[in-house]
Amino acid sequence: MTNVMTDWDLAAITALLPIAAVMTVLQKNPYHALVVRGILGAIAALVYALLGAADVALTEALVGTMLAITLYAVAVRSSLVLKLGIIAPVDLPEISIENGSQNGQQNGETEDLVHPVSQPLEDMFNLIHSFEDPPELKPLLADLRVFCDRHSLRLELHPMPDRQALDYAMETKEVHGVALLNGDSAAHPYSVTVRVDRLYELMQTELNPAIATLDTTTVSLPENPLMSDTSSR
Amino acid sequence: MMDQLVNIVSNGCIGAGLVLWLWGTWPLVGPRSVLYKLHTLSMADTLGSVAIVVGLLLRIPSEWPLLVMALISLAIWNTILGYVLAYCSTEEPND
Amino acid sequence: MNWILGPMLLILLIPIYETFQDKDIWQKMLAFASVSTKTSIMILVISVLRDDWMIGLVGVLILSVGNASLMLLAQVLKRVNEL
Repeated sequence: MTNVMTDWDLAAITALLPIAAVMTVLQKNPYHALVVRGILGAIAALVYALLGAADVALTEALVGTMLAITLYAVAVRSSLVLKLGIIAPVDLPEISIENGSQNGQQNGETEDLVHPVSQPLEDMFNLIHSFEDPPELKPLLADLRVFCDRHSLRLELHPMPDRQALDYAMETKEVHGVALLNGDSAAHPYSVTVRVDRLYELMQTELNPAIATLDTTTVSLPENPLMSDTSSR
Repeated sequence: MMDQLVNIVSNGCIGAGLVLWLWGTWPLVGPRSVLYKLHTLSMADTLGSVAIVVGLLLRIPSEWPLLVMALISLAIWNTILGYVLAYCSTEEPND
Repeated sequence: MNWILGPMLLILLIPIYETFQDKDIWQKMLAFASVSTKTSIMILVISVLRDDWMIGLVGVLILSVGNASLMLLAQVLKRVNEL
């Protein structure tokens, strides 16, 4: 191997690696950090190849960039979510079929819903993903969306038929919190209860106190591994 | 004589590739839309890369299987990637 | 032919700067695509400079794998934005 590269080239290219690493660390949004991690991986592969370690470069590209980024993207997507239980005065099959016929893409999925009772889980899934904000909750949800955007959370609404179902969802850790509509006489139009301490702390400082009263509860049931979610985040 | 000619052509290819790279990458910094940037990037960037690889191929013909493979994967993958990125970045949320 | 790496490095800095200053995720993805192509072409150039088959092969593999990972990431990000 002839020494064709000047030291200056070598030093300049190697200096890219710490720059990219610092950029990765400085990203606030986890998805942005993933993209910058990809850039870091590409540069790392370049530096390794430059220094003659072809095998390390290949491993960095295959495992460090491709596999790690994909796995982390899935992990971040499934863990950074705020599941909020609400009472929605609609029954399951109707809203699913309505939405399915509105946007043609989902027709294939919603055809199964003719027998809604046989597939409650599938129903719930389609309902959550095609659910429109109930108008009476709009101000609170707007506030919550700002909150979620700020912390790169996804807001997932879980509509329930009544209060009992909400409490049950809370106990089984199916949702992270519930939002309720207070009566007209109350000082605040809404009340929000969350069972995750960190969410409570964040909401206490950042949610508009004029809109909702905030409350926290602890759920001490032994966690069902099948239902386990992101509460330990 | 022939060597010199090949050298000149190869250097010309690489230089043209670098100019195309710069041309395709420079708009990234501006405030243009994603699709505009994607267009310049997939056009000028890919062509620049192809020019550079052709320049290398002229210089060292003994490595032609590698470099031809690079050319093919550049042409195919970058085209598909352009489509995928355009499709993914323009889709509006349903709700 | 040593002069080629300097300009390549300078051009490589443009998308890196772009990822730093732009807040839109798709613009960052574009910069990632640009960086990934450029680094693998640089690896190819280095392999030719050193007349090293192994590095060249790795460069070609990274060229195609980097693109594949970009597409995977783009699909996942699209799903995230939909919800």
